Amino acid sequence: MPKVYNWQLGREMDYRFEGGAAKRQFAAVFNINRCIACQTCSMACKSTWTFSPGQELMWWNNVETKPYGGYPNHWDVNILELQEKANPGGQVWDPAKKDPKTAPYGTFDGKTIFETADGVNTMATGYIPPEADWKAPNIHEDTSTAIPAGGASLPEHAGWFFYLQRICNHCTYPACLAACPRNAIYKREEDGIVLIDQNRCRGYRKCVEACPYKKSMYRPSTRTSEKCIACYPRVEASDPLTEGLPMETRCMTACVGKIRLQGLVQVDANGEWIEDRKNPLYYLVHVAKIALPLYPQFGTQPNVYYIPPRWVPRPYLRQMFGPGVDDAIAAYTNPTRETLAVLQLFRASQRIVFGYRIEQGPKTGELNVGGQTREIFNDTIIGLDSNGGEIVRVTVDEPTAERPGQLNSL
Amino acid sequence: MLLELVKRRRIAVGVVAVLALAGVLQFTNTNPAVSQTLYLTAYESGKDPGLNPSNGAWKDAVAVRVPLTAQLGSYAAGGGTVQTVSAKALHYNDTLYVRVEWKDATQDDASTRVEDFSDAVALEFPAKTASTVPSVCMGQADAGVNIWHWRADSDAGLKDPVEIYTGASVDGYPSTDTLFYTARAAGNPYANPDLGAVQTLVSQAFGQLTTSTVQDVQGKGAWANDAWAVVFARPYTSEGPDHAGFGAGARTDIAFAVWDGSQDERNGMKSASQFITLSIAGAKVPGGGGFNSTAVILGAAMLIGFTALGIGLGVYGYREGKR
Repeated sequence: MPKVYNWQLGREMDYRFEGGAAKRQFAAVFNINRCIACQTCSMACKSTWTFSPGQELMWWNNVETKPYGGYPNHWDVNILELQEKANPGGQVWDPAKKDPKTAPYGTFDGKTIFETADGVNTMATGYIPPEADWKAPNIHEDTSTAIPAGGASLPEHAGWFFYLQRICNHCTYPACLAACPRNAIYKREEDGIVLIDQNRCRGYRKCVEACPYKKSMYRPSTRTSEKCIACYPRVEASDPLTEGLPMETRCMTACVGKIRLQGLVQVDANGEWIEDRKNPLYYLVHVAKIALPLYPQFGTQPNVYYIPPRWVPRPYLRQMFGPGVDDAIAAYTNPTRETLAVLQLFRASQRIVFGYRIEQGPKTGELNVGGQTREIFNDTIIGLDSNGGEIVRVTVDEPTAERPGQLNSL
Repeated sequence: MLLELVKRRRIAVGVVAVLALAGVLQFTNTNPAVSQTLYLTAYESGKDPGLNPSNGAWKDAVAVRVPLTAQLGSYAAGGGTVQTVSAKALHYNDTLYVRVEWKDATQDDASTRVEDFSDAVALEFPAKTASTVPSVCMGQADAGVNIWHWRADSDAGLKDPVEIYTGASVDGYPSTDTLFYTARAAGNPYANPDLGAVQTLVSQAFGQLTTSTVQDVQGKGAWANDAWAVVFARPYTSEGPDHAGFGAGARTDIAFAVWDGSQDERNGMKSASQFITLSIAGAKVPGGGGFNSTAVILGAAMLIGFTALGIGLGVYGYREGKR
């Protein structure tokens, strides 16, 4: 099997194909801290792509409640168990073997799903969740079993949960793509979007079996598998609505909680991000390092990054997002002036923001967080399109207006 | 020196015996299942066998038991759960009929749930344009293969889940145009509800299996008593450039593959045979009895003969060793 470089794991790993499939990569940052699980993203996706016969159980976008929820049920627990069984006690990180560029979270010393597979019977360790597991998304979620005495307070809650927003990760090393015996799955060079060729697919469901995130889904009415297409007509700006400028996906733009920011980043042949200091995604992932990949240890190099929830016990978060969790939460809890400005770009525009410029504003506040004094400046961040043109302008302090009294007596 | 001579004589005796056996088998057209070289002969049927596997026309056709093994060479490897198929062949009105039967305790004829895989069987022939006997593993550049693939779910017909889950509550579908059945709109044959039970495919290399532009094979399967029986039928001549060619008196090769859906078998995860010889005899189906008496008598005679030869050689070897 060829060797590819996985920067999220800080090492080379086995993969069925050579790397370097994409020049630009679809990527997103989801801020878990802000999600209210309103499911507007889920409905935006469903009403756009999966409302037809045979797609009843399909949620390309879903929001589940952790730790108990999952769509399909227990998907992550099941994969983690399979991996642990294949490499007992060995699924560990060495956070000390770190390099700012090639191993930002340290080095994963365990085995990826590709490395626990034999390469003849399977290309990636996985399983097919049976129909029952897809039928009841969110069942029994948000059902409290106990209220801890004394309530909850930061830094960690004794009784806790959080919402996990999930779409296809358009992985740099997709397990679905590696697993397809017909090579019906491909990764687009122009944006790294992973698609299933609906003409070539024969419904063998090897992709459903292999995708660790369970985002390849079977459609019985056509006997093929389908998956999130990253709203590619919007991303590639071929949808007339975009007027020729790349636009974020439906699930992103519909986000009520303003938790999502999606874009395109430049990547090299190793799948590493080419430095693009003023791309908001590059900034959040590689400079501020407040957004982390979901279960990087699976080895697919997923491209949706999460700002981890501050109140959740760290061991759970480290299992889910790797050893970068502590630094990410620290950086989010006390954000720098630039981070605070970049966070304002979330859902400021439907257009994809390729770059930003910050105009400094006056100091408007000061607060103490965890013993540290933080100053707030009302900076203005300007989001730029792929040609450097301004598409949006937002300030750190949200402008407010007082409703004139006479309007209150309608 | 003497020992060398003895060894050579023994080898020579063995070679002659094998050649003689092969000659007898070839001449009499018998089908001992244990042979490395299996023969399936299609005699002319007295009546139209049709597609019903229990048609009486099959009663007198001699069955050949073809051993299958797991596909372990290439990804996605697997299978091996079905060990043999019983194959019969007939021809009628310039059409070749092949009937395949195998044991399978579960009737898997729907692909409704994500965990449901269909039972299936495939026949493989060299393309008529093949310059040599192709690789049984999906053919080669100068020798393609033609595959007839029967699937139980295709035979049963493709349905929407709401037609199967009749108690399901659905708010409604905004549109049910073909466009919204994405794979169907993309021209995927397996997504077409009018797909026949058998798909005709062609291949010239592993990983290049393609649905043929010409679909001219018919088929029908029936499951009863823990076994599938499937009949394939195709006229001798085919418009398909890479299809198999047949004709009265002609010889070609045939291989078999079976998938057991309840064992999650699909794609390369299958039980498959090597190529065996398929002859299309001009004669009518011989006999009319339950078994081929000539073959039984010949077989018995050969068994006695070879046992005697074996004992003789053994005794000879023992004596030589004693010296």
